[in-house]
Amino acid sequence: MPGLPLDYAIRNLGRSPSRLLLTATGSGLVVALVIGAGGFINGMQQALRTSGSERNVILIGIGSEESIERSEIPMSTPTIAAASIPDVVSHAGTSAVSPEIHTALEIETETGGKTNAMIRGVRPSAFLVHENANFIAGRPPRRGMNEVAAGQLAIRTLGYVGPSEAVGGEISVDDTTFVISGVIAADGGVIEGEIWMPLSDLLVVSQRDTLSCVVARLESTDVSGTEAFTSSRLDLELLATRESDYYASLAAFFRPIRIMVIATAIMVALGGVVGGLNTTYAAFASRVREIGTLQTLGYSRGAIVRSLIVESVLAAAIGGLVAAGLCIWLLNGVAIDFSMGVFGLNIDSGVLAIGLASGLGLGVVGAMMPAVRCLRLAVPEALKAN
Amino acid sequence: MSLIECRQLTRTYRRGDQEITPLRDLDLDIEAGTFLALMGPSGSGKTTLLNLLAGIDRPTSGSLVVDGREIHHLSRGALAAWRASAVGYIFQLYNLVPVLTAYENVELPLLLHRISRKERHRRVAAALDLVGIADRSDHLPRQLSGGQEQRVAIARAIVTDPTLILADEPTGDLDRESAVSIMDLMARLNRDLGRTIVMVTHDPKTTEWCDSVLHLEKGRLAEAEGEATTPMASESNLESEDVR
Ligand SMILES: Nc1ncnc2c1ncn2[C@@H]1O[C@H](COP(=O)(O)OP(=O)(O)OP(=O)(O)O)[C@@H](O)[C@H]1O
Ligand SMILES: [Mg+2]
Repeated sequence: MPGLPLDYAIRNLGRSPSRLLLTATGSGLVVALVIGAGGFINGMQQALRTSGSERNVILIGIGSEESIERSEIPMSTPTIAAASIPDVVSHAGTSAVSPEIHTALEIETETGGKTNAMIRGVRPSAFLVHENANFIAGRPPRRGMNEVAAGQLAIRTLGYVGPSEAVGGEISVDDTTFVISGVIAADGGVIEGEIWMPLSDLLVVSQRDTLSCVVARLESTDVSGTEAFTSSRLDLELLATRESDYYASLAAFFRPIRIMVIATAIMVALGGVVGGLNTTYAAFASRVREIGTLQTLGYSRGAIVRSLIVESVLAAAIGGLVAAGLCIWLLNGVAIDFSMGVFGLNIDSGVLAIGLASGLGLGVVGAMMPAVRCLRLAVPEALKAN
Repeated sequence: MSLIECRQLTRTYRRGDQEITPLRDLDLDIEAGTFLALMGPSGSGKTTLLNLLAGIDRPTSGSLVVDGREIHHLSRGALAAWRASAVGYIFQLYNLVPVLTAYENVELPLLLHRISRKERHRRVAAALDLVGIADRSDHLPRQLSGGQEQRVAIARAIVTDPTLILADEPTGDLDRESAVSIMDLMARLNRDLGRTIVMVTHDPKTTEWCDSVLHLEKGRLAEAEGEATTPMASESNLESEDVR
């Protein structure tokens, strides 16, 4: 299939700088948008996917509409649960049962900035239950000492560059100052976006006398023992949910947002194509006589359309690659504050590939229609064009 | 058998309910090796005829046989392939590709042929040499004078060794001096290399280089001069009206 030389397409790029700029910018914006949206969805999914363990079971109050934050259960629940659930993991005589408070509070950072943070009140047993939560800097907070631990994403929203800078830093909750004693990593799960405070301190700060939930670690993924416990003790009004199921249902809850993000990206991309059509057509139309000449020489219409598309894809690739580079540099890992907590934009190779592909696709689609329209003209008429 | 045989060649354009017939029932034979000048008033159908001969336009009726091939039966794709090997077209305004150098412009038609890079280079160099522009092969069209541009265009038209060279007012945009040297070059292609050339011209002086002249008037042959060809004068086409 003989075609026009690649050099021809490359040099044509310089002929209509406005069109090159428009195509490159349009493609760049679409690529950035798709990568941003992809990173957002990816980050959110990863946070939720890695958050729940199949071997953890959450006990929350029946009237809480399955939301940990809204749930309130009595302080006595963990003791009863530890004694009644048959297959709770035990470490050196300590049951892996974690009484917890989950609450969103406004906190003040060292620099005086105010932000909403997910705060989890925990006892040391939390680390027996959430086995993937580990300190990557510092040590666990001690109760009564105004200390907290912070997830490695949370410290970024607090303004710290890395874990070592964060340790020793301070936050204020309701005029009480807490020192960050350590930084937690948890395989990218929601814990990384939280601040963990000793349970007794959070009871005081938040002026409550109830727990949000109890999380227990089981010997297996079988939660039937726990369900038997909740149904035999209806007086406790507890609901048992496998932790992984809980976060999966959260992910389902946020699905409309994901669809909205994808739909917005598609609409902006389409807008880019439609907006660029006229400029592209004008650029091609100014070469109609040349296109007629190439046909006179024996080049087929297909060969010419292909060259025009290659030209357009090259322009789109320039913008797309620049945008992709900027995205990796500026966006990857950026912490997003979201109602479910904090998660990091996750730009992986799949997201990059989809982003770049949509930019190049834009180049193809945006050139196809104008090119075909220019080639509809009969050769003798094309040769007469200005 | 003549190289080109036109029989009842007719081209009609339709614009709404209006019909324009710039070429009507043309019978014409052109022998191989002829340098034919095509003259006639503006709108008489010269370019229309040339475009049919070049295979970039198709007759409404009648037949056109070039070198034994029935051009009027070829599909669009087959016509393009035929043009690539059989036709060299020279335009009044040169029509070089502005982003390609003289060398690359001449190379363009050869990229449609299955020949080695070395052979391609040899042919491009030879064509540029023949038109006397080898020293400008790296120049872009805008860095050349009109006469030089037309030389490059001629090199592009002959580089594939076509059966037929067609030229539509090749000197129409040139000064006297450049026109003379372009005509000298075309005559040389005809005389020394035996190329068949059909040239549309408005300038009677340029016909001095040709060995026969045809006059078109309202889409029909008006009269014939010269010895080398015997255009079959259409018999009963005296009264003419090209718009009805
Ligand atoms: N695409 C077209 N649609 C309608 N009419 C056309 C078309 N192309 C040419 N014509 C008409 O056909 C007639 C002959 O045109 P043509 O270009 O062959 O003339 P010409 O002899 O080459 O004239 P000139 O010396 O001015 O170049 C003209 O009346 C022109 O208006
Ligand atoms: Mg003409």
